[in-house]
Amino acid sequence: MFRNILLVSVLLAAVPVHAALRVFACEPEWAALVTELAPDADVAAATTGFQDPHYIQARPGLIAKVRRADLVVCAGADLEVGWLPLLLRQSSNAGVQPGQPGYFEAAMQVERLEVPTSVDRAEGDLHPYGNPHVQLDPNNITLIAAALVERLAQLDPAGAEGYRSRGAAFDARWRQAIVGWEARAEPLRGARILSHHRSWIYLYRWLGIVDGGELEPKPGIPPTTSHLSELLTRLQGATVRAIIRSAYQDARGSEWLAGRTGIPAIVLPNTVRATDGATDLFSWYDDIITRLLEAGER
Amino acid sequence: MNMDALDPSIMGPAFIAGLLVLATHVPLGREVLKRGIIFIDLAVAQIAGLGVIAASAFGWAPQGWRVQVAAVTAAVLGALFLHWTERRFGRFQEAVIGVVFVLAATGGILLLAADPHGGDAVRDLLVGQILWVDMQRLLPMGLLYAVMLGLWFGLRGRLGGLGFYLIFAITVTASVQVVGVYLVFASLIVPALATQGMAGWRGLAAAWGLGATGYLLGLAASALLDLPSGAVIVWSLALLAAIIAGIRSWKNPEA
Repeated sequence: MFRNILLVSVLLAAVPVHAALRVFACEPEWAALVTELAPDADVAAATTGFQDPHYIQARPGLIAKVRRADLVVCAGADLEVGWLPLLLRQSSNAGVQPGQPGYFEAAMQVERLEVPTSVDRAEGDLHPYGNPHVQLDPNNITLIAAALVERLAQLDPAGAEGYRSRGAAFDARWRQAIVGWEARAEPLRGARILSHHRSWIYLYRWLGIVDGGELEPKPGIPPTTSHLSELLTRLQGATVRAIIRSAYQDARGSEWLAGRTGIPAIVLPNTVRATDGATDLFSWYDDIITRLLEAGER
Repeated sequence: MNMDALDPSIMGPAFIAGLLVLATHVPLGREVLKRGIIFIDLAVAQIAGLGVIAASAFGWAPQGWRVQVAAVTAAVLGALFLHWTERRFGRFQEAVIGVVFVLAATGGILLLAADPHGGDAVRDLLVGQILWVDMQRLLPMGLLYAVMLGLWFGLRGRLGGLGFYLIFAITVTASVQVVGVYLVFASLIVPALATQGMAGWRGLAAAWGLGATGYLLGLAASALLDLPSGAVIVWSLALLAAIIAGIRSWKNPEA
């Protein structure tokens, strides 16, 4: 038995396979994007669609995965500032440290909104590089995918041709899908939406949605009673289509407000697999738009 | 299952941190148990944490010396207060400790009310992030503990209640920032509890052995099951202690 296992392992080791890239993604949307561009890559995601990427608990497995990664793909722009720097340091993997080719920050590939002119701790969540939730505009994904293809090609020159051809095919499908989403989302133009956390501004800009404010008084600070009652007063008479939150956010704030205003409170997938419908990048955006359209029919 | 995570260079620093914590907390825990003031460590650890939180609320750099000074000052003041209440109120000491604990815990929440990472900071203080320790953190911790252990065993008997409270406050301040309140409590109480009744060095050695085995098994389980290390170690310490206590009472039903 043991000899057979040994034999098989030796045979497997001897087959000159094209070594698959090992990729560590901080969030599921980047894991999904890498899988689109490099289906053979060994991809691990640090968080699921039900976890807040701002914060995770240290687990030995995370350090081990970063240690053997060829490429780390994260939103960046300080979204993971609470844990990623520590994880990278503990991994002692020189190739994936910031500034190295093995370190890819998605948010840095696109134009970010809300880059502050001055950083003041009093203003809540510190994002000196701007709002990091860039995955919520599909046009950003187009740009990030193009940059990621080049990065994959740089790290794995033997597979460069494959990455570029899959990148081009993805680009075409994605651009076509964007046209479809924009057509479906036409009724959402000008609609006012309230959100739990300030993580949807890229979606608003893309679809022409009016930003109705947040349940959090300052980014990252849980809704307070006084802020909720202030919102309630402000909402008197205003037409708001929906109160949206991510799957990992506490439902009580938005349900409280929904109960008092009659505005539907809904969960929107902020990433792939955050809802049952969002199984890949394409169905994720389908689901976002379907849920927003359904909210208006109630 | 994730065999890669068993890599000694990943678990090593965390295990060394665990051994350092055990080195000081096991003798202190036996004393805590003897004095019957079990929850003092929760209170003092929480006060030290309040000092850290207050320092960061002033905008001081998280790893800076001023934060350490603030934490030690808070913990020492808390310990002095508890030493005074022990003499003043005696039989109500446990109740006073409990009230001090909830005040320190909720005080931290109030101080962090306007901090976007406040929830994370409170959670870190409780569960700790033992996996993030490195040698730069372990060296000063080891030196400090060596001094505290020297004082503890060197001045034994002559220390008195005040000496115990001060050594306790300084030791817990260092450990709580690395392993968190839960693991500090478990490291103090669980080995001491499982070996209660075993006197002198024999009891100490047994408690140290149990603690070290608990940390090792906990770290391994956390690697294999991909679960947060601090919480798993608390459980492995408790399970191991329950097994040991069961064997002891089976072998010696009188004890």
